[in-house]
Amino acid sequence: MLSAWKQGTPAGRRYIIRTWAFMIPYMLVCISMMLTDAFDEIIGKPAGWGLAAAISAPVIGQLWATLSLMRESDEFVRAVAAKQFILAAGLAMALATFWGFAEMFANAPHLPGWLIYAAFWGLYGLVSPFIRTSN
Amino acid sequence: MKNRLKLLRVERGWTQEQLGQALGVSRQAVNALETEKHDPSLDLAYRIATLFTRPVEDIFENPHA
Repeated sequence: MLSAWKQGTPAGRRYIIRTWAFMIPYMLVCISMMLTDAFDEIIGKPAGWGLAAAISAPVIGQLWATLSLMRESDEFVRAVAAKQFILAAGLAMALATFWGFAEMFANAPHLPGWLIYAAFWGLYGLVSPFIRTSN
Repeated sequence: MKNRLKLLRVERGWTQEQLGQALGVSRQAVNALETEKHDPSLDLAYRIATLFTRPVEDIFENPHA
């Protein structure tokens, strides 16, 4: 991230700032949900829907940040970003499909659906170094 | 796409950063053009041709010729 900041364009730096602005509240809620019982009292209550909506807001924000990066960048950066995003999203969908069927037919343990976002970013980080051309 | 961009840039003593600024693109984009990792849009190809005051085909090899 630091080298991306140093080598990056102004649009790339804005993208890094926006990414962290959306990622930090998302991670704080997820970590506190996993490590504490801070949200247990709202389970089954209308506030639970509020929490679900609140945690999905940074995901939508991140989508906006990515589209902004593409809009504010030159054609090469735009093409590479699109390829990275499409590949990571496709692999994340394939992974979710695979696991969903594995749960149904192969007795795989249940995993919460919201993990797909973390899986997407993991895959994004994994595929990005290999996508260096727009062709 | 094969091109003479690096040669033209070096002839003028420009860095990739400087050429990128003149064209309104990133240094990464200039590097990708020079290393044939990006085929320019028609708009960018004409911007490059205008900057170097040469026809597009003097800079980019026509792959269909």
